[in-house]
Amino acid sequence: MEIQKAAVAGTLESSDAQVTVEPGAGGVQLELSSSVMNQYGRQIRATVLETLERLGVTDAQVTVVDKGALDCTLKARVECAVFRSCGQSAQNIPWGGVVR
Amino acid sequence: MSYTLSEIHPDDHRGMAQVRNLLEQEGIRRDGNLDYTCGIFNDDWELAATGSCFGNTIRCLAVSGRHRGEGLLNQIVSHLVEVQLARGSAHLFLYTKPDSAQYLSDLGFYEIVRVPGSLVFMENRRGGFDRYCASLSPKPQEGQSTAGVVMNANPFTLGHRHLVERAARENDVVHLFVLSEEAGPIPSAVRRELVEQGVRDLPNVFCHATGPYLISSATFPSYFLKDSDTVIRTQAELDLRIFCQIARRLGIQRRYVGQERSSHVTRLYNEVMCQKLPEAGIQCVEIPRLTRDGAAISASAVRQAIHDGQPERIRDWVPASTYDFFTGPRGASVCAAIQREAEVIHY
Repeated sequence: MEIQKAAVAGTLESSDAQVTVEPGAGGVQLELSSSVMNQYGRQIRATVLETLERLGVTDAQVTVVDKGALDCTLKARVECAVFRSCGQSAQNIPWGGVVR
Repeated sequence: MSYTLSEIHPDDHRGMAQVRNLLEQEGIRRDGNLDYTCGIFNDDWELAATGSCFGNTIRCLAVSGRHRGEGLLNQIVSHLVEVQLARGSAHLFLYTKPDSAQYLSDLGFYEIVRVPGSLVFMENRRGGFDRYCASLSPKPQEGQSTAGVVMNANPFTLGHRHLVERAARENDVVHLFVLSEEAGPIPSAVRRELVEQGVRDLPNVFCHATGPYLISSATFPSYFLKDSDTVIRTQAELDLRIFCQIARRLGIQRRYVGQERSSHVTRLYNEVMCQKLPEAGIQCVEIPRLTRDGAAISASAVRQAIHDGQPERIRDWVPASTYDFFTGPRGASVCAAIQREAEVIHY
């Protein structure tokens, strides 16, 4: 999926994460900050990158400000931000496909 | 208790009065120029928290003392970031009080510079400002004298040329920063191009774009839109602190600036500059304006002449490259845009 414009999903409230995606400059660049970085930083990074890969995002600048979101929340926020960034949020959500 | 987050329109007098009260209570001055304001109200529709936007900045953030520790600031910032993204701004800037900066740094904002006791300026890109500084070249070398010039060059005149020439003569390297902000009828790409053409024969002058970091609507909105003198001074001080950071990386030892008589905001800025730069170890060299027929050359006068439909009048005030542009085919649309403006003189 190609990132066409900057988009954001999620909030900065506790147990949530704010995910911003922007068109990249070649490759996926992830900037992560988290209130539980020491405990779960690697897990969060892996979840975000895996979700992007599943969506076929290969060129993006992704910023995640995590406030202790569960994996399922993170996935949902990443998916939502990506769909918004390519104008797909209203239709054609591939439920059961790349969205699992 | 349940909370409602809502936009507060400028003509919602009751809501705006509550915003003003809350900001005052928290010791924050409400900026004159805001283009979006929101608030969180409690059950009794009392304002518990507020925040605003202007351009690509987030500002005037406050949480009522009675509602601390409930995560309201997070909701406000989340909402404002969404508003900004919906407008298409992804690189955001934020102002806050020094004692609140730590809360904002938990929300994905990183400090660029602070004015002690007054404010902290932040951005939502980790190392964004560092990357900007790193992109500037040439890097300082031992024993070299280096100067800095910052100009709007709206458009580039012989007055600007005079200033740059003097700096180039007295220094080994001159870093020439041209404002990137789009403000007014002459596009920033044109301003930049005319500067580059106008200094092409000076091999030790290096042009840079200021990006969002110097005299932009993020650092210095009152340069572009009227505001009170106190606001101008505070914003000028912030802007100069950023300049000092850049100067430190590039080894800039002195800054050249043209004397200002007519523009109120530039005069105040220069005044703050002459005071603040020496404190940071940077010499401030103020140069008298170049004159023609007894009158100082100014970009305002050039715009006025074009506005009045007499572009031939500017011939003695600008380099050939600028003159050719405005009288040539490419300049026609820009001239037309200047003529459409009601007011072309900088306040």
